[in-house]
Amino acid sequence: MFELLGAGLLNILQLKYLMPLFIGSLIGVVGGALPGITITMTVIVVLPFTFGLEPLQGLSAMIGVYVGGETGGLITSCLLGIPGKPSAVATTFDGFPMAKNGEPGRALWLGIWASIFGGLLGAVFLVATTEPLATIALAFGPWEYFSLFILALSMVAGLVESSLAKGLVSGAIGCIITILGNDPVLGQERLTLGIPFLSGGIPFLPVLIGVFAFAQIMSEVERMGGGVKAAEGVDRGVSLAVSHVKVMWEIVSRPFLLLWSTFIGLVIGVLPAIGGSAANMLAYDQAKKFSRHPEKFGTGIPEGIIASESSNNANVAGSLVTIMAFGIPGDAVTAVMLGALTIHGIQSGPLFISQNATLAYGMFAAYILAHGLVLLVLLPGVRWMLHMVTIPKAMLFPVVIVLCVIGAYALNNTMDNVYVLLVFGLFGYGMVKSGFPLAPFILGVILGDQIEINLVRAIMTDSNPWLFLTRPISGVLLAASVLSVAAAIWQHRRSQKRLAQAAQDDAADF
Amino acid sequence: MLSRDGWGGLAVLAASLLLFWGTLGLKDNPLVPIGPGFYPRIVLGVTAVLSLWLLLADVFASKPPAASRREPLNYRLVALTFAVFGLYVGALPYLGFRIATGLYVAATCALLAPPRNAKTWAGVFILAVLTALVTYLVFERYLLVLLPRGRLTGF
Repeated sequence: MFELLGAGLLNILQLKYLMPLFIGSLIGVVGGALPGITITMTVIVVLPFTFGLEPLQGLSAMIGVYVGGETGGLITSCLLGIPGKPSAVATTFDGFPMAKNGEPGRALWLGIWASIFGGLLGAVFLVATTEPLATIALAFGPWEYFSLFILALSMVAGLVESSLAKGLVSGAIGCIITILGNDPVLGQERLTLGIPFLSGGIPFLPVLIGVFAFAQIMSEVERMGGGVKAAEGVDRGVSLAVSHVKVMWEIVSRPFLLLWSTFIGLVIGVLPAIGGSAANMLAYDQAKKFSRHPEKFGTGIPEGIIASESSNNANVAGSLVTIMAFGIPGDAVTAVMLGALTIHGIQSGPLFISQNATLAYGMFAAYILAHGLVLLVLLPGVRWMLHMVTIPKAMLFPVVIVLCVIGAYALNNTMDNVYVLLVFGLFGYGMVKSGFPLAPFILGVILGDQIEINLVRAIMTDSNPWLFLTRPISGVLLAASVLSVAAAIWQHRRSQKRLAQAAQDDAADF
Repeated sequence: MLSRDGWGGLAVLAASLLLFWGTLGLKDNPLVPIGPGFYPRIVLGVTAVLSLWLLLADVFASKPPAASRREPLNYRLVALTFAVFGLYVGALPYLGFRIATGLYVAATCALLAPPRNAKTWAGVFILAVLTALVTYLVFERYLLVLLPRGRLTGF
């Protein structure tokens, strides 16, 4: 393993890989720092540029964007009080007060170093666990795969805060998208509505780009022209100089906080399609619960920044584990990476690491080196990043959409994919406005085909349907699916009761 | 009265039942134990049940009073932005990538932040031209992606 990792590191250090990784890290930091531009959108923008590159070059660029984006989001969180991305929301709680209290450099660099430490601890987990997990997954038959994918879908749907039913419906709609087109056994056309393009099925990348990019952009557009007051940040001319040794010591002198937050980030990352936005909030909440002085959280203490930032960068490693070991995207960014792999004809899943060892260990190496490159970008450029937020969205959004169009078109040089982009752009925005979560939908689109193929394989191998329950791993996975749904129902009812109680208390106060 | 959850559930229920009906016309093959409609029927059946659950949950839920103050949202701008994008997608095969993209970027920029003077109009114009040319050069020349040519313009 270490030999392969060493070879991967040497490989990535070649200029042809290092350059895309550096550019990706730079774009990621900028994209992460821009409020309203998510990491998913940034990686979607980068996607078309990777089509003409080697797989490892393209994936290095995407990994750079991912790591850079997670770190870049903290800049505006700390200095302007505006989270650059959802996974930096919790950083704002203590980062901004610390900056306002006259320590903007400390707030910023605590976040950056906590991100680096969390990310590198995550790398240990990534390298150590991906191959063993993939080896376990290799023993899976179609029954186990079917159950694993069902578990992934039910977990994602169950983790939707607003409504379990909506999460499940959203996942089911995603699966419906995959049944349009030829069936995988006989190639018979089904539900094509007489549209020839649909006979080949709907490609998932234009769907993903359309849904995520337009949902995000239009949600910003609907707030434009409303006279929203700009947040009052720290003085942009203030010194951000700090003793890096002192800041690093502040982090490593809290080993339990760092390790626990990193662990939370990793676990959330491994769970499919949840993402860093949940990781940083949960880590912050846990840090507060374990603290001896929880009342100080929110006033500008280092613990809040360390918890949030170490967890969201570790989350990246967790997401990469899931996609590389099981072929299940840990979040929207890894879903785009999955698309990039598909474009290059590489099958993700348990065989990925054994069949593409150079690529897999190159990805590990890229992930590790990206942290150093992000630091290299931020050391001289952090103040410059602060000025990037002044770029008007009216100029940014049309350029992003043009790149989305190129990304969809270049998949196979047809306008059909651009029409899919338009339709699913409208559909995605409609889903957001109707309160349907996007994550289960996308997971349904990605896993729907695999669920069908494994179901068909299982039944064609042995028509006994009870095997799904009686085969130990499959049975455990299905039981876990039921448990996750039951837990979600219980949690939802509990929160409803709390809300009702709070409403009653409010009424009594009057 | 249904809320947006109820309407959403109703729409998904109707769509899933319609598609389920569509699967009934799919013919099974005697050579394989599972026909092309087997999995779609499961998915559509499950979707119908889930959307019915969503619908009924909304019908029987005690609805809280609507929030009195909400941030005003500019849906007109969203509709116009989508419309301009729709025109762009429609025009791409006829005008070609470079012309359609230049027009699209200029139109969307002007729509989202209307230029107030000659300087801002110049900014919009420069952005439109640069976006069209830079993306064309990078993708066509460097990454070898053949972007759409216009049927009307040949450009």
